Amino acid sequence: MYLGLKEMRYEKLRYSLLTGVMVLIALVVFILAGLAGGLSQGNRLAVDQWQAKYVYLNKDANKNIMASQLTTDATNDVKGKQVANIALDSTVVRKIGSNNKIDISALGTANNSFIMPKVTSGHKVQRDNQIIISQNLKDQGIKIGDKVRLGSNDTKLTVVGSYGKSTYSIAPTMYMNLATLAKIKAAGTPVTKPLGINAIITKDSQLSGNKHNLQRLPINDFIQNLPGYSAEQTTLNTMIYFLFAMSLAIIGIFMYVLTLQKQSLFGVLKVEGIGTRHILASVVTQAAVMSVISVAIGLLITIGIGAIAPTGMPFALNYPQLGIYAISLILASILGSLLSWRTIAKINPVTAIK
Amino acid sequence: MANVMELVNVSKRFGSGHTAVNALSDVNFEIQQGQFVSIIGPSGSGKSTFLTIAAGLQTPTSGKVLLNGTDLATQSEKQRLQYRFDHVGFILQSSNLIPYLTVSEQFKLIDRLAHQKFQEKEMRQLLDRLDLKNLDDAYPNALSGGERQRVAIAKALYHEPDIILADEPTASLDSTRSFDVVDRLVSEAHDLNKAIIMVTHDERLITKSDVVYQIDDGKMQKLENKETVESHN
Ligand SMILES: Nc1ncnc2c1ncn2[C@@H]1O[C@H](COP(=O)(O)OP(=O)(O)OP(=O)(O)O)[C@@H](O)[C@H]1O
Ligand SMILES: [Mg+2]
Repeated sequence: MYLGLKEMRYEKLRYSLLTGVMVLIALVVFILAGLAGGLSQGNRLAVDQWQAKYVYLNKDANKNIMASQLTTDATNDVKGKQVANIALDSTVVRKIGSNNKIDISALGTANNSFIMPKVTSGHKVQRDNQIIISQNLKDQGIKIGDKVRLGSNDTKLTVVGSYGKSTYSIAPTMYMNLATLAKIKAAGTPVTKPLGINAIITKDSQLSGNKHNLQRLPINDFIQNLPGYSAEQTTLNTMIYFLFAMSLAIIGIFMYVLTLQKQSLFGVLKVEGIGTRHILASVVTQAAVMSVISVAIGLLITIGIGAIAPTGMPFALNYPQLGIYAISLILASILGSLLSWRTIAKINPVTAIK
Repeated sequence: MANVMELVNVSKRFGSGHTAVNALSDVNFEIQQGQFVSIIGPSGSGKSTFLTIAAGLQTPTSGKVLLNGTDLATQSEKQRLQYRFDHVGFILQSSNLIPYLTVSEQFKLIDRLAHQKFQEKEMRQLLDRLDLKNLDDAYPNALSGGERQRVAIAKALYHEPDIILADEPTASLDSTRSFDVVDRLVSEAHDLNKAIIMVTHDERLITKSDVVYQIDDGKMQKLENKETVESHN
């Protein structure tokens, strides 16, 4: 310990440079984690807010909700508490009289369904052609009382309420009843009953028949199959895991080279009765100190970036997860430094006396 | 007086068959407290081999290495490591100081590793004896060669070792400084009642020794008076 710390003090430049490299790695890890978190949240926040357990899709949809076509009477095949039909559409919203278009995810469900968000201002959806909007859509200039149009549809919708931040498919959400969304999706052609929906969202439930070719998915399975979701997450996570390996390799190689340079000194230490255990402890101490410092700096910078990141940028920090990544980086560095163990153990003190 | 260290019929052979080298053959050696003993011999005679065996860095092929009565050869590598740490002081050719520790930290490290408080008074006395004043915060590379070896002597004497092994301690010094270092070692042995073994190939340095052993081709003999060294060559 003592030896390792004193050496770092003596060789400040050498060890600060390595710490600097480690800061960069830690920073990339944390920023990637922030982006992965942001993208993940952008895709699934609305789904998480449902607090549902199972999703029923059309079996032929290959677990893809956008490809799943059902009708409202499919709920007859599902037995359970809190069963909600959902229809969704990816479209744009435009205030009447304005040309500013915003990408949104429009979700339709029954007025009293359990997945309909609780409004925090205004009131709930009570009739056709009423919508409630998420806070992030509100942040982009749409207010309660505004009249809006969706896509190229002529129907005038009224914003009657709003709820907290919510996103789906990297776009802010709005909710309306099924009839309103059906009308918008039908775009002019008359709407028939039963209404078309994409999925049935439930808490506790089972299939009780299968006239409608349903497939029951646990909510996590459903999330993994959100379009693009797992591809994005796998890509970013692979990069993060690769960076753990990189920090292990960088510290490992660096400490190994330093160990080779110091072989004769270590030989002398062994002559004096200071064994492998103490020498290795000093090397590990150095790796631990450098990685703790660099992870701390990396975290601070990342939190700073999180605070100033523009609202449009998908960036969300999940602190428990950052904590796990921070510990993993530190462990990877310590593991890297342990790679010098054999070299240190093999140094023969006899060579110090010639 | 009891022997601090005694080597009894020690042989060390490297390799086997017709390429075997007998670095030490049937060596007998003894040293007592308060003695300064020199070992002299030409290059390749076995001086370093002797020292590494005396230090327990390698085990003899046959024979006994007794340190205060215990045979080092029967101890495990770990025990020998601990033994060196606790009871043996070393002074090596080109100073065994750690480059990134200041003079006082060289001593503090030993206390840290021994899990005990820094014995500042002991260090101060040793450094004063060796005329090393105001150098506590200096790094080894800021010291002269002579100062460095004197710090190494102080460090070797720190914590009252049973024996001090000096391997050509003057190799990196000019002759004036060499004599100074050897004189100091001799007086440490006499004044502090320590057993010090010095290995050297420089005959001029052995005149103040209490006992001189001559080693040649692995065979060691005690010289009864120091003049024989001259006549021998
Ligand atoms: N590990 C070893 N393997 C084989 N032979 C060795 C080994 N160590 C020493 N020897 C041989 O043993 C003999 C004595 O070597 P040693 O190093 O003890 O000599 P020395 O007196 O210290 O010489 P110098 O004054 O040059 O340092 C030499 O012939 C040397 O080649
Ligand atoms: Mg030698």
